[in-house]
Amino acid sequence: MKKPIITFARWGNYTIAFKTLFEQLGLEVIPPEKTNSETVAAGAKIAPEMFCFPMKVTLGNYLPALERGANTIFMIQNVGGSCRQRYYGVIQEKVLKDAGHDITLLDFRATPRDIYRKIKEITGASFWQILKTVRFSLRELRLIEKIEKMAQFYRPREIKKGTTDRTLQESLLKIEELKEEKAFPKLKKEVLKSFFGIPIEKNKKTPKVALIGEIYTVCDPAINFDVESKLGKEGIEVYREMDLTYHIKKLIFPWKDWIIQRKINPYLGSTVGGHGRDAIYEMLHYVEKGFDGIIHLLPFGCMPEVTIRPILEKIHLESGIPFLSLSLDEQVAEAGINTRLEAFVDVVKNHHEYKIS
Amino acid sequence: MKTYLGIDVGSISTNLVLIDEKNQVLSSLYLRTEGNPIDAIQRGLKELKKQMPREAEIAGVATTGSARYLAGVITGADLVKNEITAHAKGASFFVPEARTVIEIGGQDSKIIILENGVAVDFAMNLICAAGTGSFLDAQAFRLKLPVEQFGELALKSKNPTNIGSRCTVFAESDMIHKQQIGHTTEDIVAGLCQGLARNFLNNVARGKNIKPPIVFQGGVSENLGMRKAFEKALKEKIIVPPHNTVIGAFGVALLVKEQNPQKIKFLGFEISDKNIKCTSFQCQGCPNRCEVIEARIENKVVARWGDRCGKWSNLNVNN
Repeated sequence: MKKPIITFARWGNYTIAFKTLFEQLGLEVIPPEKTNSETVAAGAKIAPEMFCFPMKVTLGNYLPALERGANTIFMIQNVGGSCRQRYYGVIQEKVLKDAGHDITLLDFRATPRDIYRKIKEITGASFWQILKTVRFSLRELRLIEKIEKMAQFYRPREIKKGTTDRTLQESLLKIEELKEEKAFPKLKKEVLKSFFGIPIEKNKKTPKVALIGEIYTVCDPAINFDVESKLGKEGIEVYREMDLTYHIKKLIFPWKDWIIQRKINPYLGSTVGGHGRDAIYEMLHYVEKGFDGIIHLLPFGCMPEVTIRPILEKIHLESGIPFLSLSLDEQVAEAGINTRLEAFVDVVKNHHEYKIS
Repeated sequence: MKTYLGIDVGSISTNLVLIDEKNQVLSSLYLRTEGNPIDAIQRGLKELKKQMPREAEIAGVATTGSARYLAGVITGADLVKNEITAHAKGASFFVPEARTVIEIGGQDSKIIILENGVAVDFAMNLICAAGTGSFLDAQAFRLKLPVEQFGELALKSKNPTNIGSRCTVFAESDMIHKQQIGHTTEDIVAGLCQGLARNFLNNVARGKNIKPPIVFQGGVSENLGMRKAFEKALKEKIIVPPHNTVIGAFGVALLVKEQNPQKIKFLGFEISDKNIKCTSFQCQGCPNRCEVIEARIENKVVARWGDRCGKWSNLNVNN
């Protein structure tokens, strides 16, 4: 068997943590290309037309890495719950082989035992080594999520526009360059310090908008046209509960689903796959918390999110909270999204002012 | 005399409205964009210069519409606003108690829900352009009718025929079919209007709380057949405000007047004689591959936009 050179599905800023995971296990890694119009077009070209958007994007991300010599792809099944995501691996393998790429696709279920076995099989790493590596990449992941959340807080309050985004990008770059876990605490301190150094208006009251919807779209700024940053620069504080840690926690502690179901019972009696229930739960939660707006993001063709959209619209009509649902795919133009976001920002600000007065 | 200029550059039409301090419309222009927004703005300014009273001085400029950034850069606008807020403002000026605004323009259609004069909810057409101005234009051309007579003809119909309106292509083939089996043009035109109103209510306005008073504006609101079709479909009175075709430009002029800019950035009417060029390139600096647009007036770069990181838009534009 030839030596495996790994590439994997790209997912926003979390890609950094994935890369660390494989590298620390002693594997050779060529990270997937960043998402841009070219990779999206390349992926959409070879993917089945009616399949959901994230599959096309991740497919497009592999291609440049495959050209540079990667021959093995990691794909996790069932990341988003029970939806078409579980077929990504199978379909991507077929599509890539049809396109003439000689690849091995490692498709595994997202249970800790399955992941552990697969990793052990490929790398031959010891139990301790795997444990240490997983811990390291989880620490990185937690830091990435933390600074993403901090950026959401700092953006609307920053005095010089764009400082937060620059700090975020610089910090991510630093995390990406980190090679040893030993240096992690120092780096974490440094990164947090650079955030605390951003000059802000401390007591500014800002309207609050929550992002809900499909996990991949919500978390990857390259897919959602940087909606967090755009809203932040308009002086709106963005909240988002959905992230990878949230999902992992839900896998380990299943009772979160029971809590969710209890709360959404008046609207939906069972699961619809994916994070459908979570979106309803979150929206109800944010309405109670007195938020000024909800943005629902979904990739085009996402069955769970399309199913629950009418429910979200109903909650919107009942509660009067401003609501915008954006369905994203390779056909959507950024100009159209911008117009809607700008108008939504005005609506949110009207709502906020009306509430205060 | 202080005046405020609103410019709405859309896909089909470019509208300019000049208002005074008392919100009176001094002059309004409706021009065809014809795929060249820069030229349309230049023509508009030239025309406006002729029309406007001599003692008028521009105290603020605002732009809206799909070419709002471009228009903002080449005129030196004090305010660049999205068309939804602009239309809501315009509608609630003429009909303060309005609850619903239906706006159908050249290539997009929108519904805006108002409460106490401000927008609280909105929707725009996503993938379907059925019922918008350009579709009506194309159909009028096919029937060899001037689009202005389209509406009057529709009113003459006694038995509007049923035309499928799920999508423009189907509507068109259905129309041809109805012609072939011998329906009169009036009935077809009226049926088309009803189909398009239905399409709007099913697609764009789906799930929205439509409450009276309902305001209908935008280029298509000139069409009497469409007005009647909406009245019939909604079973409510449809109000068409004055200046209905240029109300976006009017709304944005009101907004800039409220903002009351202290230092005016307007580049002057001379701009209509200058050589303005826009070029675009793809930045190769990072894998984001942003499309950067560069505007030049007399070969001097005045602005760049379209990049995510600010590398180009923050660049000193004087070189």
